[in-house]
Amino acid sequence: MSRAEPGALITSAVPARRAARATLAGALVAAGALLALAPSFTSDYVQQVSFRVLQYAALGQAWNLLAGYGGLVSLGSAAFIGIGAYTTAELTNHGLPLIPGMLVSGVFAAGFATIVSPALFRLRGLYFTIGTLALAEALRLFMVNYNGLGGNIGIFLKSAAPTTAGLYWLALGVAAAATGLVLLVLRTRLAISLRAVRDDEDAARQMGLVSFRTKLFAFTLAAFVMGVVGGLQAGKLSQIEPYGAFGLQWTVDVVTVALIGGLGTLGGPLVGAVFTVVLAELLNAYPSLHLAITGAIVIAVVRFAPEGLWGVLARGWARLAAAGPRTQRGARRVRQ
Amino acid sequence: MHLPGTHTLVTALVSGVLLGGLLALTALGLSLVLGVMRLINLVHGELVILGAYLGYALLSGLGLDPLAGLLLVAPALALLAYPLQRILLLPLLGKGLQAPLLTTFGLSVIAQNLFVLVFHADTRSLSRSYATAPLGLAGLQVPAIYAISFAVALVVVGGVHLLVRRTGVGREIRAASEDPVAAAVLGVDVGRVYARTYALGTACAGVGGVLVGLAFSFTPTTGTAYLLTGFAVVVLGGLGSVLGTLIGGIGLGVIESVGGAFFGDGYRDFIGLVVFLGFLALRPQGVLGRAER
Repeated sequence: MSRAEPGALITSAVPARRAARATLAGALVAAGALLALAPSFTSDYVQQVSFRVLQYAALGQAWNLLAGYGGLVSLGSAAFIGIGAYTTAELTNHGLPLIPGMLVSGVFAAGFATIVSPALFRLRGLYFTIGTLALAEALRLFMVNYNGLGGNIGIFLKSAAPTTAGLYWLALGVAAAATGLVLLVLRTRLAISLRAVRDDEDAARQMGLVSFRTKLFAFTLAAFVMGVVGGLQAGKLSQIEPYGAFGLQWTVDVVTVALIGGLGTLGGPLVGAVFTVVLAELLNAYPSLHLAITGAIVIAVVRFAPEGLWGVLARGWARLAAAGPRTQRGARRVRQ
Repeated sequence: MHLPGTHTLVTALVSGVLLGGLLALTALGLSLVLGVMRLINLVHGELVILGAYLGYALLSGLGLDPLAGLLLVAPALALLAYPLQRILLLPLLGKGLQAPLLTTFGLSVIAQNLFVLVFHADTRSLSRSYATAPLGLAGLQVPAIYAISFAVALVVVGGVHLLVRRTGVGREIRAASEDPVAAAVLGVDVGRVYARTYALGTACAGVGGVLVGLAFSFTPTTGTAYLLTGFAVVVLGGLGSVLGTLIGGIGLGVIESVGGAFFGDGYRDFIGLVVFLGFLALRPQGVLGRAER
């Protein structure tokens, strides 16, 4: 540390940081504009692949809020996605437009999360994980057997699906909103409570934190996003059936995206979604091989890079920056 | 829902008890690994189904009867599991509970897709005439394989119980399960004990898998169902208790069988899961108290 002239370093660091922030904002606006205009200069195929990337990015953000920031490793994502898909299918069949249908889907999924939370939150740690898995499978089995909502055949959607570009824009909006929502949560006191509950629930309680309310907040918010994404999926399909809508594959994919991207980072789910979907496209002639490779990547990430691809990229960037101009190095030192 | 007659109900009860043996067998490995290693082994269901596939390969390749094949399947799975634990799970010891959980999650994804690549996605079963033949039991008819698997379950559960309670290996397993740090101080190689436990649990899973293949059909993704029934059995029977697994298995078998008689066969697994969730939610202290120590 430079004991002699701390003031000089700070004054030189503030404008540098302000400039960096302006650059970042500019880059974000440019990227946003580019993404929004993408359908005018990309093929249908690119838009379809991007739809999946954005869908998984939104799901990854939701799951990351739970598991990455809150330590609540849920294997029940499929339940909320399925509820969302069925809600949108039913509502649009009764004449509601797709976007309000998706929002109501999110509310229904969040409502379901609220109903099951008193029972689920009695389970700590690993038992929470089993409980969510059992809950999602129970719901799937119920939907397969129950005849009220089309049984194992499911529901046919009467309204026509939006165009590829329309779906892309919807997915872009959902992914951006999910990322914004998580960013917003991270700026509130709740994010601190959530991390405290994750790191030591008993200690957090003794400090006066209401761990139930904290967990409930994260759980319902994640369920809301997953419900909306389920509704989006229904908007794309012409038929919703329980094996697909409530399928375990959703759960597996969400975990994979968030893990490979990087748990507890805002950029992780985005990077993870791009990586996972692009890998799936590259190996689309060999779906089983692709999934087996994904499983191996998950194991490798857990062992060698727990901070995920995002963490690896961030470390590389920091190393590049450290080799850059002197002022940046000074700013880094002050922050330490 | 419809009210079944007395005869149907008694048949459901008896076949539920017998089926419980099979459920206990498929849960025993999960219980051992969870109780001793504090590991939620998400690949457990796939290890059960691997046993079924190995039984299938021995039957279709060598013409070996699956019940004789048990003697090959169990050691083969133990030999697979031992290095698996040493290479993939042991280095994660002390890195929290999430890392090993997620590693077994990755293993489960790999296993399911390797099954598809090697054995294809078709529904398979180990069809033997003795398995499907009805067995007359005091005027009740149950599939013979239910009785056979119950007998095998008694032998395996009893054997594992004696191994854990009466041998030197078992004493090390109990010590490592009680308090791994103290056990290590007293000279127990905890890493080796964990690997042995994992191998033993996997061998039991394989035995269960062969009997699953004889009694029912299976596909590459059937494992998840046995992972969940396994958890249900462990929770009902009490964590870490070998004999409790048998009791939990019989309990779940009866619940599913009788529930199926009331609500229709499609709801069997659903009812099992609901009872399991209810049990988890209402009696967490019994399960959690021990698990979190």
